[in-house]
Amino acid sequence: MILADIIELLSNSWQAGVIMLGLSMVFAIVLLVASIKFKVQPDPKVEQIHKVLPNIDCGACGYAGCASYAKAVAANPDLIGLCAPGGSAAAAKIAAALNLQISDSGPPLRPIVHCRAHTEDKTSFAQFQGIESCTTANAFANAQACKFGCLGYGDCVAACKFDALHIFDGLATVDYAKCTGCGACVKACPRNIIKMVPFAHENMITVACSSKEHGKATRSMCQVGCIACGLCAKQSDVFSVSDNLAFVDYKKYQPNEKTEAAYNKCPTCVIVYRGKTAPPPRETKKKTEAAKT
Amino acid sequence: MDTVTTLILAFISVVLVNNLVLTKFLGICPYLGVSGRIDMAFGMGMAVTFVVTLSGTLTWLIDNLVLIPLNLEVTRYVCFILVIAGAVQLVEMYLRKFFPSLYESFGIFLPLITTNCAILGLCLFLNLWEIKNFATAVVLSFGAGIGFTLAICIMAGIRENLKLADVPKPLKGAPITLITAGIMTLAFMGFAGMIK
Repeated sequence: MILADIIELLSNSWQAGVIMLGLSMVFAIVLLVASIKFKVQPDPKVEQIHKVLPNIDCGACGYAGCASYAKAVAANPDLIGLCAPGGSAAAAKIAAALNLQISDSGPPLRPIVHCRAHTEDKTSFAQFQGIESCTTANAFANAQACKFGCLGYGDCVAACKFDALHIFDGLATVDYAKCTGCGACVKACPRNIIKMVPFAHENMITVACSSKEHGKATRSMCQVGCIACGLCAKQSDVFSVSDNLAFVDYKKYQPNEKTEAAYNKCPTCVIVYRGKTAPPPRETKKKTEAAKT
Repeated sequence: MDTVTTLILAFISVVLVNNLVLTKFLGICPYLGVSGRIDMAFGMGMAVTFVVTLSGTLTWLIDNLVLIPLNLEVTRYVCFILVIAGAVQLVEMYLRKFFPSLYESFGIFLPLITTNCAILGLCLFLNLWEIKNFATAVVLSFGAGIGFTLAICIMAGIRENLKLADVPKPLKGAPITLITAGIMTLAFMGFAGMIK
């Protein structure tokens, strides 16, 4: 039965098949001739550069993809260092392809989230029930009390192409093992709390807070905010305090006893390590007390 | 003389009266997408004209000499798309070789000519309007391309001037473009019924 059906189908449709085949053959031949005749010789330099690029089309360089960046670099060598995921290795290879020498561009840039408040540390004035994105939540003033801190809706997570950002307990957390430093999260964050930092060491010390509120106000809104007490600046000159907020001079940072002392003295434990093998932050006093009782 | 008059009338009718973009609303995607600058719009119009002339002629031949005698009208769409895709590939290679800057600026819109519904629409209209004359089919195909070029160039000219105009903020960009397209369509409706 089935065989008879198939034979009937074939006997009815073979003409269509033959015509389609014939037409495609004709066009294939025409296109083949055209492709040989209209062949474009691509620039070997561009091809060489394209090969050494990571080919992930992340857009960190500001061009549409690796192919267009390769073309731009070949035309204008000033643009060499723009490939963030490739880093200095890619830059060196591009320079070699262009017969140029470059100076060392320094340590790779990696993002640090300048906030360390998880859901239990934060205070809210109201409950935000709108679209679950940081950009919209940011447009409504002060649903979350701290107007500098991480909102935790994950705009940066959506922007990350490498699965290197996740929201844990309402805080964006970078997975430095996966991060390529493309900087997409920096552009995505509406509160500008993610910043690119030169990672000269595997783990960097940082003041994980962006609050420029007065110390008392910060304290009232967040368990783990920087109150700008200045203790860290007294321990090590890597730290400085301005605008009610402590800053780290990442370029000056060398791990030593002084920075370790600052890390241990910080009353709100807002000085933390970030990096591939960063130790977990110190427990805040309030939390340990709460745990005891 | 009579055939020439028919051909001229057919040309005018497909350019103005039955303009594919403005009265049939086909090919709106490149019409709005590539009409930012007049030189690009003209280039796009020329590319579409080439593709539509080639594919209109070829599909009319295939339709009338092969498909209809063999009662294979069901394969019309597949065959037509094959012809159009082939023609677009040809144009793409040609532009890449001889007009690299134009090729760059078209970007994705060049391969998208394949899916430009104005072209498939014209190929199918040739059958729907029951064109039985090869010369008329060629003239209509060419006219459709010229009509598209006309529409997209007028649009590009208006949009270039709109950049200098004081457009209310909520209407900037796509909204004012769509309003312009609508008003242009209204204007072209005035041609309806000019040729019977």
